[in-house]
Amino acid sequence: MSIEIRGIGKRFGNFVALDNIDLDIPSGELVALLGPSGCGKTTLLRIIAGMESPDHGQVLFEGEEATHLHVRERKVGFVFQHYALFRHMTVFENVAFGLRVKPRHERPSEAEIRRRVTDLLKLVQLDWLAERYPSQLSGGQRQRIALARALAVEPKVLLLDEPFGALDTRVRKELRRWLRRLHDEVHISSVFVTHDQEEALEVADRVVVMNQGRIEQIGTPDEVYSRPASPFVYRFLGDVNVFHSRLHGAWAEINRLPEGAHAGEALAFIRPHDIDIERFEQAGSLAARVQEVHAIGPSVRVELAHGSELIEVELTRERANALGLSRGDQVWLRPRQVRVFAAEPAGEEFGSGI
Amino acid sequence: MSSPRPSIAEPRWVRFTLTAVALVFLGFFLALPLVAVFVEALAAGIPAYLDALADPEARSAIWLTVLVALIALPLNVAFGVAAAWAIARFEFRGKSALITLIDLPFAVSPVVAGLVFVLLFGSQGLFGAWLSAHDIRIIFAVPGIVLATLFVTFPFVARELIPLMQAQGREEEEAAVSLGASGWQMLWRVTLPNIKWGLLYGVILANARAMGEFGAVSVVSGHIRGETNTLPLHVEILYNEYNQVGAFAAASVLALLALVTLIAKTIVEWRMRRETAMLEASLSPEGGAASPAA
Repeated sequence: MSIEIRGIGKRFGNFVALDNIDLDIPSGELVALLGPSGCGKTTLLRIIAGMESPDHGQVLFEGEEATHLHVRERKVGFVFQHYALFRHMTVFENVAFGLRVKPRHERPSEAEIRRRVTDLLKLVQLDWLAERYPSQLSGGQRQRIALARALAVEPKVLLLDEPFGALDTRVRKELRRWLRRLHDEVHISSVFVTHDQEEALEVADRVVVMNQGRIEQIGTPDEVYSRPASPFVYRFLGDVNVFHSRLHGAWAEINRLPEGAHAGEALAFIRPHDIDIERFEQAGSLAARVQEVHAIGPSVRVELAHGSELIEVELTRERANALGLSRGDQVWLRPRQVRVFAAEPAGEEFGSGI
Repeated sequence: MSSPRPSIAEPRWVRFTLTAVALVFLGFFLALPLVAVFVEALAAGIPAYLDALADPEARSAIWLTVLVALIALPLNVAFGVAAAWAIARFEFRGKSALITLIDLPFAVSPVVAGLVFVLLFGSQGLFGAWLSAHDIRIIFAVPGIVLATLFVTFPFVARELIPLMQAQGREEEEAAVSLGASGWQMLWRVTLPNIKWGLLYGVILANARAMGEFGAVSVVSGHIRGETNTLPLHVEILYNEYNQVGAFAAASVLALLALVTLIAKTIVEWRMRRETAMLEASLSPEGGAASPAA
């Protein structure tokens, strides 16, 4: 089922949680709402679910008005960060809940319920836990049961609020691949909220990057990573080196400022792996001195000093071996890909750029 | 404990003295009176004890006490669950005022509570004329006793449930509704099962207070023998008449009730601790490893 969001706004007191959000989620896609905490992503998800009502704007399901539909009538499956399993029910009863509360004339027979629940537990590969209670399961198992429970009512949309946020790293990785496979199997429109960029880039078909109640960019994982639409997205998705035109004129001029931007300071954003290190000076290259060389897994991370500033560069092992860098070496840096943005007004620095 | 005594522990004689003081104090002020009640009640032998309890006025007092509790407790449960639910789940204007109001009966002297009802519903009271015109008796009758009892037992259930429901959060209820449950289905299948032990605990405490209440009930009851005398009032009347065996026999019933309450309370507390442990376990990630990322 497709979801359309038209001009949704929501305030909590003086805090603007969502500022005029427009978003289309085509049928069958797995979409990630990505952003730092407090950016409004969870509020947006809860508005789609009907657990929160917007101050203005519309939510359309399959083109039909759903803004004021009760949660119960929306046919959405919701998965909570802390699972929200019914603690006094067995795993089986948790999954069966949605079927048992159906009105009498829609309710499946006991045998049918048993069959459907068993099928779902097999789908999440936990049928052997049917008689356990939630407190007897691990976090990863609980979240899979929560998913099975949400799927039991055959929702038209699956909404997941930081579904892996409470799990440790290893389980989180495993579970998100599993979610991706599951989505490809059941093919239900899904929206999940996360603050973890790696998670969003790995799992989603499309990523919606949000900040301060607004959408910064919508695109495939590759688009948002390699062609960020704003300085915020650049900083939020991965490491980046920032250069000021005032200080590094040559670099910030490589790409001209977009039309209409007021002349003055510009910022050039370059990812660590988009900078090459040379032993000899060339036109447009920047002098720097090697400070640290860390070999991390398949790549080599080099920290360099340009004046008082720190620049981070990521090289392949082969390239690093060919260069044979060591601390104190004088080298020249050459950017492969640069994006230039007009400098933000002072005081709006965010993210962890270098 | 087999582990060596940590060096920060108090010397043995300090611990021994403190324990002894506590035990002697408990013995004098709690155990001894309890024993005395039963000794006095049985002083004239078991037949006299049973006779005292079989007395029509005593039986009527016991019955009235039970009746009042049977009326007051369900009302308390309904109000307590509703108030705790509203307070724990929603933000609304006047929420802190409501929380304060719930505590009012704990702060007010029961006699004052009784007087308030006399002022409202007594023959000289605010609604007195209207009530007597319609031939409705509240003061010096069972409805007044129920009202006074309701007033003093008002906070127990709500007080017990508010922190419990706040700790549990609303996610399970939201999950239930998103799965298609109606409000009633959510209440019966999710909300109440989750709070059942806390609710029972509140009910036990409220029951002990309802059956044992003296002050507020004394003001509104009128002490009509065989009609508006509850068990505590009955004890006082008999005692003032120098009927030692009768007074203490009735008192022993209340003392027994206290013992039953204590045992029930201990069992429920034990169950609640288990539930809390389960709640904590169900919130922590596996193996209690990394804490959940906010």
